[in-house]
Amino acid sequence: MNALTDRDLILRARGGNAEAIGELTTRYQTSVFNVCYRMTHERREAEDLAQETFLRVYSRLDLFDLERDFGPWVRRVAANICLNYFETQKPTVEIDDERLADENNQPEAAYETRERSELIRKAIAALPANYRVVVELRHFQELSYDEIAVELNIPVSDVKSHLFRARKILAEKLK
Amino acid sequence: MNHLTDELLNEYLDNEITDRATVENHLASCADCTARLSALESLFAELESLPEVALSCPLASPLIRTYTLPRWLTLTAVLQSAIALAGVIIAAPFVINLLPAIEPSSLLTFISEIQSQWTAALDMLSQMHMPVMPEIHIAEFSSLMIALAGVSILWLLGNGVLLKNQLK
Ligand SMILES: [Zn+2]
Repeated sequence: MNALTDRDLILRARGGNAEAIGELTTRYQTSVFNVCYRMTHERREAEDLAQETFLRVYSRLDLFDLERDFGPWVRRVAANICLNYFETQKPTVEIDDERLADENNQPEAAYETRERSELIRKAIAALPANYRVVVELRHFQELSYDEIAVELNIPVSDVKSHLFRARKILAEKLK
Repeated sequence: MNHLTDELLNEYLDNEITDRATVENHLASCADCTARLSALESLFAELESLPEVALSCPLASPLIRTYTLPRWLTLTAVLQSAIALAGVIIAAPFVINLLPAIEPSSLLTFISEIQSQWTAALDMLSQMHMPVMPEIHIAEFSSLMIALAGVSILWLLGNGVLLKNQLK
């Protein structure tokens, strides 16, 4: 299984081959988890969302264009799953403010925040969900404005305004 | 001279503008805009520096259940088909024998034909078993009783299997 290309594995997975599905999951679970972790900054939640991503991916495997790369497709699905998840939650800004306040009061969390990357993660997680997903798709998945617009089904003007405002907020927090 | 807008600086770094020369000409002669651009660049670098984290444990594969055998190929479905097949096998010889007999003859004679065929078959069956298990005198039972018992067992088995499928 390890020697097979993604394409081979996808073809087998389409036929219901459990081993091929397992191998594809193994190959992409870390990158998918990282998408979800950047979006949530919460391990447990990120794991659940990563799990959900793979379920969605395997239920739509027939729609995947074999000429394209599997990894980027799976990561885009993950970003969308996260966005949908946030949209069904309470207003995100409130949650994030509460959570940031909580975490700042904990000594171990205070230790973690000393690390620059933790600060960056927190700043991203504190963004409104629709800003967060654009940052994820542009900076971590390297999609163009047009591609993001298609992926999220929003106008390019929204992609730009969300992205630029998000960067302004991030720059402010990470000064 | 107007400074570059934030939008233009963002688009420049995102490689989303075709006219890069205009921006670069301005940057060459404007320290303010160059500073704004480098601030934005360092944000890009910070985001890029974010390391991947490891999963604490591999994701479970909840998918195998949905991707095992096709739905129609479950154990109960196989059993159902086997029972149906057994029914066909039992019925086949009578049907084949009776086919020419089904002419204008009445329903009653038709049924009695079936019964006599059954009786003949069961007698044959009992004779077959006689040397093997002489202590069980199958022939002493009424053929009809044996037929009923056999059909009932099949009926119960079939229904049990059907119900099992429903309860899942
Ligand atoms: Zn300027």
